[in-house]
Amino acid sequence: MIKKPDVKVVLLGDMNVGKTSLLHRYMDRKFQDTVSTVGGAFYLKQWRSYNISIWDTAGREQFHGLGSMYCRSASAIILTYDVSSKQSLMELEDRFLGLTDTASEDCLFAVVGNKIDLTDDYEGEEESEGERPRTCSTSKVRKQVYLEDAIALYKRIMKYKMVDENHAPAAEKMCFETSAKTGHNVDVLFESVFNMVIPLIVKKKANGPEDTINLSQESTEKHTKTGCC
Amino acid sequence: MSVQAFRLVCASGKEHLPAGIQIECLECSGHDLYIGTSDGCIHHLLLVEENGTESAELPLGQQLDYPNTSFTTTRQNQRQLGVKKPICELRAASALSRLLVLCDNTISLLCSDSFEPVPGTKIRGVLSFTLNENPVSDDPFSVEVCLISSKRRTVQIFSVGQERVQIVREVATPEQPCSLAADGYYLCLALSSRYVILNYNTGHCQDLFPYPSEQKRPIIKRISRQEFLLAGPGGLGMFATVAGISQRAPVHWSENVIGAAVSFPYVLALDEEFITVHSILDQQQKQSLPFKEGVILQDFEGRVIVATTNGIYVLVPLPLEKQIQDLLSNQRVEEALVLAKGARRNIPKERFQVMYRRILQQAGFIQFAQLQFLEAKELFRTSHLDIRELISLYPLLLPSSSGFIRTHPPLHEYADLNQLTRGDQEKVSKCKRFLMSYLSEIRSTEVANGYQQDVDTALLKLYAEANHESLLDLLVSDNACEVGDSAAWLEKHKKIVNGDLEDNTRPDLFEYVVDFLTFSKDQQLVWQYVDWVLQKSEQIGVQIFTKRSLDEQLQNSFCPDKIVSHLCKYRQALLLFLEHLVMEKMIQKEKYHTHLAVLYLEEILRLKSMDSSDHTELEDLRLRFQKLLRQSDLYRVLFLIDKIKGTDMHMEQAILHGKLEEHDQALDILVHHLKDFAAAESYCVWNSEGREAFYRKRLFQLLLSSYLNPSTPDNTLIVAAVDLLNNHPKEFDAASVLHLLPEEWSVQLLSPFLSGAMREHVHALRVSQMAVGLAKAENIIYKKEKLNMKEKPVVLSEKKLCHVCRKPFGEPVFARLPNGHIVHTYCATNQHVNSSIDHVPSQSKRT
Repeated sequence: MIKKPDVKVVLLGDMNVGKTSLLHRYMDRKFQDTVSTVGGAFYLKQWRSYNISIWDTAGREQFHGLGSMYCRSASAIILTYDVSSKQSLMELEDRFLGLTDTASEDCLFAVVGNKIDLTDDYEGEEESEGERPRTCSTSKVRKQVYLEDAIALYKRIMKYKMVDENHAPAAEKMCFETSAKTGHNVDVLFESVFNMVIPLIVKKKANGPEDTINLSQESTEKHTKTGCC
Repeated sequence: MSVQAFRLVCASGKEHLPAGIQIECLECSGHDLYIGTSDGCIHHLLLVEENGTESAELPLGQQLDYPNTSFTTTRQNQRQLGVKKPICELRAASALSRLLVLCDNTISLLCSDSFEPVPGTKIRGVLSFTLNENPVSDDPFSVEVCLISSKRRTVQIFSVGQERVQIVREVATPEQPCSLAADGYYLCLALSSRYVILNYNTGHCQDLFPYPSEQKRPIIKRISRQEFLLAGPGGLGMFATVAGISQRAPVHWSENVIGAAVSFPYVLALDEEFITVHSILDQQQKQSLPFKEGVILQDFEGRVIVATTNGIYVLVPLPLEKQIQDLLSNQRVEEALVLAKGARRNIPKERFQVMYRRILQQAGFIQFAQLQFLEAKELFRTSHLDIRELISLYPLLLPSSSGFIRTHPPLHEYADLNQLTRGDQEKVSKCKRFLMSYLSEIRSTEVANGYQQDVDTALLKLYAEANHESLLDLLVSDNACEVGDSAAWLEKHKKIVNGDLEDNTRPDLFEYVVDFLTFSKDQQLVWQYVDWVLQKSEQIGVQIFTKRSLDEQLQNSFCPDKIVSHLCKYRQALLLFLEHLVMEKMIQKEKYHTHLAVLYLEEILRLKSMDSSDHTELEDLRLRFQKLLRQSDLYRVLFLIDKIKGTDMHMEQAILHGKLEEHDQALDILVHHLKDFAAAESYCVWNSEGREAFYRKRLFQLLLSSYLNPSTPDNTLIVAAVDLLNNHPKEFDAASVLHLLPEEWSVQLLSPFLSGAMREHVHALRVSQMAVGLAKAENIIYKKEKLNMKEKPVVLSEKKLCHVCRKPFGEPVFARLPNGHIVHTYCATNQHVNSSIDHVPSQSKRT
């Protein structure tokens, strides 16, 4: 019996930016080597009294076509890039933003720069955690994407979605820099997204099931098909 | 990946099929198997399942052994269609006894027995078709056929009855479709570049995801209501609902998948070399069977059939329970639980619950054996495990009286803990700690219900063995320990108390043991350990008896006599026990009273003989002794006087004399030996308690005379006498006192006494006068009452006649003569009967 999820959160982003690692860090509390995700993976998270399904998508071009199906009716989309790769941020706008057209109308967006542990300088240092392995400091790379770039992207997304900036959550609140390796900011990311998504669930439940897309015509059919578990 | 979910069984090899046959498509409905060949021929075979065991038809879960399924096929008729073209698709509509055959872009409707075509029912221009398994129309005499028309970008819906076909709907598609499946109003279509869901009722088209159908063969498989399984990019099996949402993670197939089938909770896929089995529940691959040259993999009414061009094989599912058991025996608890939960909808509810509980319990034991205690506990708890199953793993923990037998078949393979841990003592102690915490957690919950004794006894043994501090809490609390076993434990426990005292963190341990014995109902146990307890401490040990409830003492072996005789070795304990009997329980038996008095006496003498001894203790003891002597009337006074004579226990002696009514002697001792005037006064008071005033006066008089008649003149006595008189003027008969007093005493000196006495006398006089007056008044009241009782009312009626004139009364006025006759008033005055006539006129009510 699969519990019916109340809400869907989707991780999008170019391959190798660390979507799977972020989820692993959050769900299993550890960082482990992952292989390239095939197709997509699915987690169910119990958050307070709600079931939140989290979809980890495949970043590979090959599976790009599946993205818009995964995003359909999503309540929150976490767009992930690699802070050491400008390209990964650009890809978000060029390639992945279009996939989110199928998401639900009031969908939340978060822009997340991962792999912050790899860079030598980054803002928000004060929040860094002591457990950061020392070994990474030797192989530091230059940070290519700054938080301002992410905020700018977020604002462009809002424009693309034609959402009034005053109605959407502030860009500063929706842009994160994380490290799946050290765990830096990962919980903050997921938990603040979940917290913002819950009002949407409540709203969705209040509107009733008949309001969901595409099902309005099959109400007659539904009645004939009772008796299933 | 070692689950065996399916077994591949050959249904018909080359020898059963016509030579040179090339299978193009299949249909199976019940026992009927239809084969469409590449040369336009339809073969009908009977496919009968045969099981090696009798229990073949038993439902899932009860077939614990391998069902030895095999198939026999017998050939029925066959038919060659007109053209020598391949049969593309075959579908049986068994309710209509019709067979739908797609050949040469035409669907023909055949009678399913004779294979005779039904005239006028051909549908032309068909590329592919499917039957809607979940049609919107509920007409039982028709089936819904969804087809891809050879017209460009068109799908059509037909209603097919026994004798007729009728087009219901025609819908245009955005691109050329090449494959389809249907559910309700929804068609899932593979278009040339993508998959879509098309609602043929509204025409709404929902994109799913891109797929290059022209390069790769698309697969669309309806898996349940409103959900389809599609071949996706990179060899994925994608799940999609009619709303265009994916609710399950994809399954990973190989790139060149040929066909897919569903047999809940699995999806099967065929490629060039293997049949792979994935679970719908966790999307993991569970099994793969090598199979070469496969061309068709399809499920028909739950039966999965795979075929090469000239052979047909059935994939026989293993019973779910067998699969779950296999997983469990491979320690794959998570997967087993997922599968078990998934099986819920395939198994009747009651059966499922029983099965599921058992699986949870087995899983619990597996986790337990891996020392995953948290998980194990959760599983045990949710599955309502009979807790004794767990306890029985630990040698000797269950009470010997427990009639527990492990369930059969066993929930686990372990004989006991030693086998489970392979003798690793560290693991054993971990397991014991777990059980300890688990039992203490559940002992007061409903889990332990009915097995309270087993649980508590086991817990007690664990505690005792670990020398755990909670042992004591367990003992004091309301427990159900089995006592026979507890005795053995106590033996062990005793060792702890006697031997390793420094180990013991609890100073009050001993009290706990005593407490336990006190509330223990087992007499034997108590008697066994009472000596040990008393040797440790008589004062505390005796509580075993004193704190027992009385009725228990009286009825069974805890009767006082027995206890007393048992305690005679322990004087202090005996003393306390008798004190308890006499003073608290108020048992009126001379024996105990005397015994207690003698014990007091002996103890006092013993203490006195030891000069160094504590004075307060002695004083306390004497006070208790005196209290007994005063309160009790049962002890043998003379016996005690004999004993006490010659000691300096004057107070006691005085009390004893008092008991014998030898008050002069008693007072003599108090006044002249002890010079304790206050004691003498209180002696008078308590000795006269409950007696009449005269007795009291006599005592005080005695005291006074003993003050006044000293053998040697003593001023203090005079003062005492004066004080006595002045303080208790009421207690004396003033007249007789005055005779006793020496002449020379001044009135001044005695004024408080005299005025008090005077007052008392006057008071007494007035009281008696008042009493006389009250008595007189009472007398009068009684007299009046007597009069009232004697008199009766006079009833005057028309029938009554005047006794004098013999006429009736005209008015309500009459006179009554002393003899009771009634007369007219005037008759009474007229008639001078005699001078002493007493006129008693009285009113009377008319009747």
